[in-house]
Amino acid sequence: MSAVMGEGVDQMKLRTKYDNVAGYTFIAPFIIGFLCFTLIPILASFYLSFTDYDLFSSPQWIGLDNYKEMFFEDEKYWNSVKVTFYYVLAGVPLRLGVALFIAMLLNRDLQGIGIYRTLFYLPSIIGGSVAVAIMWRNLFGNDGAINALLFFLGVEQPIYWYQDPISALWTLIFLSAWQFGSPMLIFLAGLKNIPKTYYEAASVDGAHAGHRFFKITLPLLSPIILFNLVMQTIGAFMTFTPAYIISNGTGGPLDGTLLYSLYLFQQAFSFFHMGYASAMAWVMLAVIALLTLLLFKTSSYWVHYESKEE
Amino acid sequence: MKKITLLLLSLLLTATTFTGCSASGDSDQITLRIAWWGGQPRHDYTMKVIEMYEKANPHVKIEAEYANWDDYWKKLPPMAAAQQLPDIIQMDTSYLSEYAEKNQLVDLTPYMEDGTIDVSAINDESLEGGKIDDQLFGFNLGNNVLSVITDDNRLKEAGLNPPEDDWTWDDFEKMALQVKKEMDIYGTNGMNPPDVFFPYYLRTKGEHMYSEDGSSLGYSDDSLLADYFKMQLRLVKAKAFPSPDVQSQVKGLEDDFIVKGTAPITWNWSNQYVAFSQVADHSLELHFPPGPGQEKGLFLKPSMFFSIANNSEHKEEAAKFIDFFVNDVETNKEWIKGERGVPVSFKVAEEVQAVLPPEEAKVFEYVIAAEERSSPISPRDPVGANEVMQALTDVSEQVLYQKVTPEQGAKTFREQANKILARNK
Repeated sequence: MSAVMGEGVDQMKLRTKYDNVAGYTFIAPFIIGFLCFTLIPILASFYLSFTDYDLFSSPQWIGLDNYKEMFFEDEKYWNSVKVTFYYVLAGVPLRLGVALFIAMLLNRDLQGIGIYRTLFYLPSIIGGSVAVAIMWRNLFGNDGAINALLFFLGVEQPIYWYQDPISALWTLIFLSAWQFGSPMLIFLAGLKNIPKTYYEAASVDGAHAGHRFFKITLPLLSPIILFNLVMQTIGAFMTFTPAYIISNGTGGPLDGTLLYSLYLFQQAFSFFHMGYASAMAWVMLAVIALLTLLLFKTSSYWVHYESKEE
Repeated sequence: MKKITLLLLSLLLTATTFTGCSASGDSDQITLRIAWWGGQPRHDYTMKVIEMYEKANPHVKIEAEYANWDDYWKKLPPMAAAQQLPDIIQMDTSYLSEYAEKNQLVDLTPYMEDGTIDVSAINDESLEGGKIDDQLFGFNLGNNVLSVITDDNRLKEAGLNPPEDDWTWDDFEKMALQVKKEMDIYGTNGMNPPDVFFPYYLRTKGEHMYSEDGSSLGYSDDSLLADYFKMQLRLVKAKAFPSPDVQSQVKGLEDDFIVKGTAPITWNWSNQYVAFSQVADHSLELHFPPGPGQEKGLFLKPSMFFSIANNSEHKEEAAKFIDFFVNDVETNKEWIKGERGVPVSFKVAEEVQAVLPPEEAKVFEYVIAAEERSSPISPRDPVGANEVMQALTDVSEQVLYQKVTPEQGAKTFREQANKILARNK
């Protein structure tokens, strides 16, 4: 650092220079970490997606072959796409619906409401963990708690959840609905932001609960809904742990729970097709980006911002 | 001044973030890393073996890395890619080719020739399974034979005698059906996973799973697999076999049907017998799997190998440990006891058998008896074997769920398997 002392202006410059250096130094760990562990690997995986790479020997350039095989030859791939879309389309609305419902319930001034909020948020704190998935697997087991409950309610025949690809997938969807905590908290914050006066005015005008919900709550909450919808959709596409645990890493029965990320993982770490797995990851990225874009594009039709002049 | 301090502090932070964990020890001290898969009992006694070795060799420190089967095979590839494989790796037949042909493993022949690993009490046949061409990449730790484990008291309740030595698939099927009829429990555990039992079935017909060069399947008649599927399908439909979803809920020994008393017959490798008899609260017996063609079908399978990684800096020391593991009588008598299969050294095997309680000695007797009626092992599992196994499991599931016919399944499997094997050539 060669600095010339003297004029006030130079002093100023020097100071900002010092400030910048200090600032950059402070964020250096993050920058280096981001480069080493995020950006460079991402770019590397893009290159690898055009190669045949088994982790041991050096990657062989094969052009678009991975993508060709994925789209035109690999039935299992298309099955995993189908399963994932099913999971997202059924799971995300369900999860958001439950989250909003619970958020409405918790949006009151009751004694000890804080305790209730904590309790409802708990399942999500222990969220994507292995323990929860194992518990879930046992709940839906042939002689698990769910069947015991059904029996108690008078259902004679136990339901074999894992006997059928669709019902096995639904156990995953229920699990994701049950972990509604984070969207619920965000909804709760959104609900708190809606002025009470609106509801009071509506009541005076004779609006009943349904009216109030559809005419006030939903429109004013729509930006929050959009945010949750985008975040949850992205998250749902990347779901891995529960499917891995519940199916013992197989994605069974009959590949009914073979979510995209699980199949990607199998290709990468069971069969050492790192190139193929990288290609799959990039397709996933493109699909998620596209869907997010679509959601934003449609948002102008249903999201209502208060600040905007209608 | 403050700023300078801050600067230094943040630099320090940055620096510490990126210091790896490089171990530094005494120059004469060496550290060996050993990795294996298994269940808790195996982890426990292997740690004891390591303790004994460290006591006898104070200059060696051993770091153990262990996991269950699934996790183990997912941990190794990244280590291999980083040239960070443990010095000694427990290997399985289905992965040996994969790792050996990609230059991850060391040929152990020189260590046998110079006596580092003493093979004077070991038959060549026992080591055959770890060979690729003329090089030995995996040192067999013990022999296993496919077995049928039965609960004879339960069979009696169903009015059945325990299986004869020369029983057939037909007898097996009748037995399973009768158990179902008389007692309303499953006849057997259902021969899961298919990649263990179908190769045996093929061998009894004089065929093998893989061709010699590993570029395709070894058998050419699809009706073999179709017939095998049909038998299972008949039993699943009659509820004498658990359906695939019920099978998939068995996560470990303690859930197995024979332990819970929901089936009197289970298929398994002989070394599993000890664990079964410990977990079950009733006595169990070992029998040969059914024929005809038993003599062709049975073989001594290397239960697992120890291999030495190419990136190891102490190959010689690693070889010494393998020698200790397979040849040290005291260690085997006290701790290993044939849990990794019947020891390959006949000296050790004899000594261990002499001190074993009768229940655990059954395995030794069984393997010795099976040795008389066994044939050489099949061509080794080629690169891609694991993918082929997965394909077989998938197809098997589709057939048993009656989504495809046995004939279609057999055809699909051949197409998929040959595609996988051709790709890896």
